[in-house]
Parts: sequence; structure tokens; C-alpha cells
Amino acid sequence: MAVESDRAGEVGPRGPLGSPTEEGRQFSTAARALAVTALALFLAALLNAQSIYKSVYNQPEGTQREVALAIAGPLREVSMALRLDRPRAWVESAIGREHATIDTEIVLPPPLPAVTTPTGGPGTGTPVEPTNGRTPTAPAAEPEKVAFSPERKMRLWVAGDSLVITPGYAIYRALGRSAAVEKVGDVDGRVATGLTRPDVFNWFRHVTEQVEKRTIHTVVFCFGGNDDHDLMTGLPKGVSLDGFGGPKWTKEYRRRVGGLMDIVNRAGGFVVWLGLPVTDDDAQTRRWRLINRAALAEAQRRPDTVAFVDMDGLLSKDGEFASYLRNEDGELLKVRAPDGVHLERAGGDIVAREVARRVREVYDLSSWRNDDGGG
Amino acid sequence: MLFPTATFAIFFLIVLPLSWLLMPWVHRWRPFIIGASFVFYSWWDWRFVVLLAGSILWNQLMAVRVHRAAGQPGQRKMLLWLAVAGNLAVLGYFKYYDFFVSSTENLATLVGLDIPLEVRTIVLPVGISFYTFMGISYVVDVYRGDTEPTTLEKFAVYLSFFPHLVAGPIVRPNELIPQIDTPRSPRRVDTSRAFYLIAAGLFKKVVISSYLAGNIVDEVFANPDQYSSLEILIAIYAYAVQIYADFSGYTDIAIGIALLLGFTFPQNFDSPYAAVSIQDFWRRWHMTLSRWLRDYLYIPLGGSRRGVVITYRNLLLTMLLGGLWHGAGWTFVAWGLIHGVALCAERFWRERHGTKPEETFTWVDYLWRRLVTFHVVCFAWIFFRSETFGVAWDMITGLFTRWGQASPLVTGPVLLAIAVGIGSQYLPPRVPRAILAVFSRLNVVAQAAVLAVALMVTQALGPEDVAPFIYFQF
Repeated sequence: MAVESDRAGEVGPRGPLGSPTEEGRQFSTAARALAVTALALFLAALLNAQSIYKSVYNQPEGTQREVALAIAGPLREVSMALRLDRPRAWVESAIGREHATIDTEIVLPPPLPAVTTPTGGPGTGTPVEPTNGRTPTAPAAEPEKVAFSPERKMRLWVAGDSLVITPGYAIYRALGRSAAVEKVGDVDGRVATGLTRPDVFNWFRHVTEQVEKRTIHTVVFCFGGNDDHDLMTGLPKGVSLDGFGGPKWTKEYRRRVGGLMDIVNRAGGFVVWLGLPVTDDDAQTRRWRLINRAALAEAQRRPDTVAFVDMDGLLSKDGEFASYLRNEDGELLKVRAPDGVHLERAGGDIVAREVARRVREVYDLSSWRNDDGGG
Repeated sequence: MLFPTATFAIFFLIVLPLSWLLMPWVHRWRPFIIGASFVFYSWWDWRFVVLLAGSILWNQLMAVRVHRAAGQPGQRKMLLWLAVAGNLAVLGYFKYYDFFVSSTENLATLVGLDIPLEVRTIVLPVGISFYTFMGISYVVDVYRGDTEPTTLEKFAVYLSFFPHLVAGPIVRPNELIPQIDTPRSPRRVDTSRAFYLIAAGLFKKVVISSYLAGNIVDEVFANPDQYSSLEILIAIYAYAVQIYADFSGYTDIAIGIALLLGFTFPQNFDSPYAAVSIQDFWRRWHMTLSRWLRDYLYIPLGGSRRGVVITYRNLLLTMLLGGLWHGAGWTFVAWGLIHGVALCAERFWRERHGTKPEETFTWVDYLWRRLVTFHVVCFAWIFFRSETFGVAWDMITGLFTRWGQASPLVTGPVLLAIAVGIGSQYLPPRVPRAILAVFSRLNVVAQAAVLAVALMVTQALGPEDVAPFIYFQF
């Protein structure tokens, strides 16, 4: 039996270095391969320095982020000094994309007084003016619903973090079948974003732009899945935070949640806010329930213009996480994705049914059928 | 750890030089590359490493025992079955447990029975389908006498080698173990092909696949009843290109990375949408899975040697199980069934009407055969991509019922991405060959600059967050 020597003989195509292969290309040495790889990655890092800096900046706080920033910062400085950030900017402007910038400015409507009374009501396009001095109460009499029809459609927009994507498609499925409903674009779900880090994605600016640019009657939001940590950027001057869930943190978070609701309400839109679902991680579920509490409190301050949908309750079984739930026919359906956080299609359908019910409480989407005698 | 990430770039910049430095001393190189591969794998979830290590130990133990039982055919066969059963039991638990439990419960409910079974939230370990198949092929090859059991260390490198670990290609023992036996030559590395494959793979994944997923496929497959027939048709074509760009992009990168480390992997894709028949498609699509299914399932079932009916049964069974390998769902089974039926139909046609040699094909022959094959493949993709049969049905009916409606999702860039994805498969081989020949003669700085610009353009055109590769879930 042959004994394998410690330094075994090399195997591989032999011949003089640089001799062409049968396909006309030349081989090279491992050292050269390493040199090209390292140099290419370094040059690519310089060319992409701006976007690398942004993605590093967007990471959750911690040592890894600090170390990465210590490298990405100088890299960006060198790139900008040598104008190596320009080629990527040209490519991005050629395809109509914004160059990577960090935007932490949060512009919100003035804080809401104790109660709101809609002067025009949701969906009318008339701004809802806050009225001082009253506590939120349910309307004394059933208000007349704003009616939509195929001629005047209810325009629906769904936006939020990654958790909104599957329910968002289900909501479009559930409500989009109605000829009186029109989708505003695709589901605007942006992975790894939230309300604590406008530097990652500035939802406040984005929502303001969307409601100014487009007529939107109903907005379904889902936020908070990436907000369960201490760090918040875009703080107003003089505001400091305690840790996640602390009084100062909660106050600032509620200001952002309420502000986003107000941006939509003041443009005449109705908000359906999806609370975060129960997850297979108990600690995460506890953190998310704190976020839900903040969102629910803000929704309750705007009872006529915001509805809170409790995904936690809809998707849990006896208060606990469940991957599978039965539908009304008794069929066992997988409702949660393998990661224990996101939803499967059937889970989205459960949420969508509730959202549709809440929207129909506010808007009349079906009387047009009687008007023209159609079905 | 995903290939197109900064984390992997740093990991590879550390592993590449160390691998070549240690390569002359194989006894040091092998533990190093096993360690690196385990670090790569543990990046998803460290608990998966235990499973990988268990698979290595189990298959090595069984291969050695099968080999030692030479001359005792009954015992050898029993050991082989035990080895395969062990592999399939683990795969079955992690991948199919919930599927079978929920299917059984729903079937029972349908016939009025109440059988409460417990569904669990089982996380599917990344790459388990791939390394389980590689483990099985090792034991079967030892049983057949095609290869001898190697050492535990070499087998661990074979099974865990990070370039192929999570999504293939499914490398056969006799392809990789001989390369692990002895050091690779550091003087003749095929870098130009490696860099070309890595750059092309990244572009396919980050730009083509991501663009089509985000701009038409996901939307239409989520709510097909809300889109026009044209949008549905284009979404199906787009998915065909998306899954090709995604999966072949991954394997291109894997093959390129292996080449930089001095190893050669088998080709996994060969212009599948230029296929002239379904049989031809399976010679070009996921080639390493196709030959695995042929050699370890179709042929052991009897192949085409036991009569017409058995041949058709074997084709159907192979493709059904191939479908189930892709995912624990009835839509995947339907996908496999469509391919199985198409293969049977082709065989039936050939037996009745004979085979026209490809050398005698006119351009008309090529045209209609490619069109028919492509559309059969696309029809099957509807089931592969749809989450439920209801969605698949909506897609199919929507193809015929909403022509003439506005189609805002059918945009110039979407059509361009589809055209690039399909057109690239008709590129004459001499074109990339000529590009590589020129590239290989550039100096180090020029090569690095070309690659850096390619990386910059790819990243600028791609989305901020690149979704995991589709085949990771299999």
C-alpha cells in the first residue's frame, strides 16, 4: 500500500506556464489568480464605495458595524477624492436610479391633539382637520360610508417592511377582485426597513411623496419587524433615548407611527395598520408585542381614520405560534414561512380577509352593483 | 453565506491564499478546507453543521462496511439499503415530514376521518438535498465497485467542499475524490474561465433574475386573476428566464470558485432553452441532477431494458421523484409529472415514427422543435412556480381569457431581460472563447480593472437586497 507523502506530487495539467489551452486561453499561476482577485475586489470596492458605506451604515449597531464603518468611511473618502464614485453614479443616473445617499430627515405633521374628527372623512379627498379638546370616542351614529364604484374606484396602496409583502398580495387579491378597487402600484414592501432607521430607507419622505403624487384612499401599512432594537436615527434635536421599549424610546416611536398615520389621514386616506404577528421566537414575540402596543395606542387616537389589524391574534393558536392553522373548511394550511416570522400565502389570506372586512366597514364598495342592477 | 455578498468576498479572500499555501501539504490542506467549509455552512445556522457532520460519518461508515462485506452479496445489499434508508430518513424528516402529515390530515378530513397528527415547524437545512444525494452516490458507487472507499478526511472534503455544498453541482465521487487525493498544480490555474464564470453568474443572478422577479414574476404569480393574458404569458417566459439565470448563475459562480481553488466541477447547464426535445432539455438542464436520477434511480428501476410499459413507468417514476426532490408540495409533483408524460410521449412518437438525426435538421425543424420544447417546459414551470394548484389554474385560464386588456407590466426592460436570458443561449461558443482568449492575455492590472468594472455595473443595475438563490430551498 502506497504511503502518502506529506508533500505529495502536484497533479494537474502540466506544461510551460502561460501556454495556451486548446481553446486559446492561457493558464496562469495561483499567485496571479490571487493578485487579480484581490485587486479586482479592491477596485470594485472603490467604485462602489458610496453604496458600500451606505449598506454598512445601515447595519444594526454593534462592534461589527463600527469596524465596518472604520473601513468603509476612509474607502469612501478615497473614492470620492479620486472621483471613482462617478462611474457608478453615471450608470445609476442612466437607469434613473438615485445615487446612494443617507437621508435621516424626518418631517412629520404637527403632533395630533387629543382627538380627531374627520371633517371630510376618509376617502373623500378632503383633508381631515384635527379638533382640540375631545377624547377619542366611537361615532354616536353610523356615519354614511363613502361609496366607490367602477367609475370612481377606491385606490389602495400597501407598503411596509418585508412582512407586508405576502399579506399585501393577499389584500390585493381579496380587494382587487372588486371592480370598485384599484391598486396603486405593486406591493411596496422593502426588506430590512422600518421606522427607526430612516437612513436605511426614509419611509416618512417616501409616504409623503406618494400621497402627494397619487390619489390614495386606503393605505395598508406594516412596520416594526426591524424596529425592535435600541438605535433610532433621525432624532429631533435635543431628544435622547433610553433603550428599546423604554419610555423615551416608546414616546419617539409613537411619534413616528402617529406621524405616518397623520401623513395619510391629512391627505384624506384611511389607514389600516397591520400589527406584527406572533413568531416562533418567544423573545422576539415579546419585543414585537411592545411595538404593537405603541401602534395600537396611536390607532386608537384616530378611531375614524385608522384601523388596527391584530395579526398576532389572527395567526396564533391559543396565543402561541402555529405554522399550520385550519381554515373554515377544516383544511390544515401552512400559514407561516419556514423562518418562523414571515407568512405563507394562506396566512396572508387570513390577514387579507380581516383587512377587507375593516375596509368595508369604512367604505361602500358594493352598492354600485344595485345602482346598475348588476351583480 | 451567500456568494454575492461582502461577507463571502472576505471569506474567500482569506481562504484562497491559505488554500494554495497549504495545498502542497495535503494533510494540512484537507483539515483546513473542511474547517473553511464548515464555517461557510455554519453561517446560516451552526446547528446544521451537526447534520452535515452526521451525514459524513454515516455515509463513510456505511461505504466502508459495504466494501468490507465483499463476497457476501446479501449483507452488502442489506447494508446498501440501510445506508440509503438512513439518508432518505433524514432528508424525509427535514424536508417532507410536515408535507406528508398535512397531506394525510387533509385527505382524512376529505373522507370524513379525524386523524389528529402533529405538524412541526421544521427548518430545512440548506443544501441537504444536494449533499444527501452525493452521500448516496458515494455508497452506491462503492457497492457497485465503481469506486473504493476513501479516507474519512477525503470523504469529508468531498461532501462538504464549500463551492458545491449548498446548491450543487452534484459532483460524483470519481470526479472530485481523485482531485482531492493529490495537490492541484498552482502553476496552471484556469483563471480566465473562472473569472468569466463568476462575473457571468453574478450578472445573471443579481441583474437578470432579480429584475424579472421584482418587476413581473412575483406580482403576476401572486394574483394572476388581476393581470391580462399578455402579462401572464410574459410572466411565464420571465420565470423561465429567472429560474435559469438564478440557478445557472449560482452554479457558474460555484464552478468558477472551484476553478480558482484548482478544482474542476462538471458542467451543470448547456443552453437548456435551445433544446430540441424534452429529452434534450434534460441533457442540458441541471445536468448533474439528471444524470444522478438516471444512474441511481432510472437505471436501477430497470431503465428501458424491461419492456415498453416498464420503461414508461420508470420514466414517470423518475420524473415524479425528481419533482418531489425539488420541493415538498403537490405542485412540484405535477411539474415532474408533466416532464415525465412529455418524455413518455416523445418516446412513443420515436418508436412509432423513428428518429430524425439532428444532423439532417433544417432550420424549420430546429425552429418548431425548439418552440414546442420551450413551451412544454414553460407550461411545466407554471406549476413549479405556483404556490397552489389554484394559482396554476388561474395562470392557465388567464392565458386565454383576458387578451386586449392593458398590460402595464410588459415593459421594454422586462422584454429586454427575457431576450438577453434566452438569446444568450444561442450565442456561438466561439464568442466567449474569443473573449476569454483576449482576457487571459491581459496583465494583472487590466484583468482586475475589467472585473472591477463588471462588478460595479452588476451591483449598480441590481437591487439593493439580493434574494437568496431559488435552489437554496431545495
